[in-house]
Amino acid sequence: MHRRTLSLMALLLIVSALPLSASQFIEMPFDQVAREAGYVVRGHVVDTFSAWDAGHEVIYTYATVRVQRYFGEATGPDTLVVREVGGTVDGYTQEAIGFPMVRQGEQVVLFLSQWDDSADYRIHGFNQGKFLVRNRDGVEILVEDPVKQGDARMSRDGRFAIEPNADAGLRMDEFAAMVDDARGASETHRRTRQ
Amino acid sequence: MKKQTILSLVIATIIVAASSQPAMAYVLLSPRRRWSTTPVSVRVYNVGNSTITDGDGGVTAVVGAIRVWGIISSSTTSSIAVRGTAPATIMLNTNGAICTGSCLAATLTGYYVTQTGDDRIYDADIYTNTAYQYYSSREAGCSGEYDIDGIMAHEVGHVIGIGHSNVSGATMYPSVSACNTGNRTLASDDIAARDDLY
Repeated sequence: MHRRTLSLMALLLIVSALPLSASQFIEMPFDQVAREAGYVVRGHVVDTFSAWDAGHEVIYTYATVRVQRYFGEATGPDTLVVREVGGTVDGYTQEAIGFPMVRQGEQVVLFLSQWDDSADYRIHGFNQGKFLVRNRDGVEILVEDPVKQGDARMSRDGRFAIEPNADAGLRMDEFAAMVDDARGASETHRRTRQ
Repeated sequence: MKKQTILSLVIATIIVAASSQPAMAYVLLSPRRRWSTTPVSVRVYNVGNSTITDGDGGVTAVVGAIRVWGIISSSTTSSIAVRGTAPATIMLNTNGAICTGSCLAATLTGYYVTQTGDDRIYDADIYTNTAYQYYSSREAGCSGEYDIDGIMAHEVGHVIGIGHSNVSGATMYPSVSACNTGNRTLASDDIAARDDLY
């Protein structure tokens, strides 16, 4: 069987092994998410903080991501700031139910695009744009984040109340090949149209 | 194909099926939280969605649809949602700059965590992605549009503190498809979740 087909099956397994947690999102094809994202990065979340917006209506969490690798043709700075809706300020928590969140210390792969109203980055495709990196027998595996906003909280020691299923993961090299294929196809498409 | 391989595939399929359907039904938002009093007041901003052709952009339909929960006092309002401040408000005409791309509708909820574990919801506002096409119960027919009555019934489930259920057919089941009106009616699982909280 073709390697790409196997990888897509593995990705499907990641998604199907957990109940869908998105609020009301439309599932997009992997290639579309990969094509539309400005950056696809593997990184380490070194810091997060939350703050109200200027109108004191929405709490955003800002995550500093130290980038270890850019996938596809696009590369950028060593550090990116990712802004997501939701967070806690002075004991008040605001959540966008079912949206992804970024937590300090996480090893992640993120699809990123810019917010419509600013140059800040956000996770593209919501939960389809975030994977946790796990190690299985010395090989890096990508797994879906089982904890979205409004889901089961983390335990007090920072571990997951729900553990991601590393057995249903996708190998990093397989993922990289899929991103290359998707974004390469995008480049070809653009060239064809010109 | 060898018998052993077939057996392995069958076992793998069973494992995947079992892990995708965990033995649970409704899920409350975590940490557990609820409004202080019922009925919960939810207002629908009176500027409706331009894709809904029922006369008022789905406003009247949604006011009625969300009462399916039995603990909702709904009405229209001429005031837009003020995030972080009650009452809960449904906005059919804007994505609130948060529900874009593949998001159909989003609930933004706020609460204080208490030491007693009896957390109270202070506000919850709902935004609609205006990039998609919707229809309401006050319209005839559907052609690839999303049912605003069902979508808002689901989102108001979040407003009152309920998460997603893995019971197919429940209003709080997380998947949504065009022209499906199933979310307009509560399943026993949804009712059990509501009764757990209130």
